[in-house]
Amino acid sequence: MAEMLSLTRPRPSRAPVSLVPMIDVLLIMLVFFMVTSTYLDLDMIPAVDSAEGAAPGPAAAADGTVLIRLGADGRPAIQGRSLLHGELAAHLAARPDAQVIVLPTGAATMQALVSVMDTVTGAGVTRMRVVRLEARP
Amino acid sequence: MRIARPAPRTAPETVIALIDVVFFLLVFFMLIGRMDATAPFDVTPPESLTGADMPGGGATLAVAADGALALDGAPVDAGAAAERLLARLADQPDLLVRINAHRDAQLRHVLPLIATLEGQGAREVVLVVTPPDAGK
Repeated sequence: MAEMLSLTRPRPSRAPVSLVPMIDVLLIMLVFFMVTSTYLDLDMIPAVDSAEGAAPGPAAAADGTVLIRLGADGRPAIQGRSLLHGELAAHLAARPDAQVIVLPTGAATMQALVSVMDTVTGAGVTRMRVVRLEARP
Repeated sequence: MRIARPAPRTAPETVIALIDVVFFLLVFFMLIGRMDATAPFDVTPPESLTGADMPGGGATLAVAADGALALDGAPVDAGAAAERLLARLADQPDLLVRINAHRDAQLRHVLPLIATLEGQGAREVVLVVTPPDAGK
């Protein structure tokens, strides 16, 4: 008798799952990703010479060494002469095998250094190094 | 006699459509954004014509225009940043270290860090740049 009753008992209807909390979570994730991501097109340029094999020391520089100083105003200078970027490119294009050393002052901006590195690389120079003066303790 | 007819029930499909749209937007923003160059301050990388595509992974050191530092999005001071990066480099010598410096940051805030990293044997240190006219 009891078995028959249990057979005829209707299955309790399940409570419908609410979708509202799921939408809440999705919206929070959406806002999180929108806010924390950067959408700039980011590139990179090497700051450290990763080719350890290329001896940076007194290795033969066929065209000698060019020292570019970078002032606080962002203007590159060779041998005390301040140059525009076009003049610098022309100067370097004549000696593409030279070892280029960039010596920036600490007051110059990142954009100035990157612009000079751009010009040097664009002129076909493959051996470039950024150095800085350090106070001897 | 007029008996008010009960309002027709709204179909549940409208909620499903909303979820679809939100899901689509979520995936879209996850795909086009990158989260490995975030910083708690404003960083506008310098413009460069000669940049190469930047792979993911590695550590990101952000430098604000006033010299404030953040390692992987958390503010740090210079000593702690170098210490943590060197500890990670000891575990992983070919760690890619990204220097994401603001274009107006002065080099005296940036170059000593690069020199420290290089002196400790970091092989992959890159400057984050952006092509001209990006985002315009």
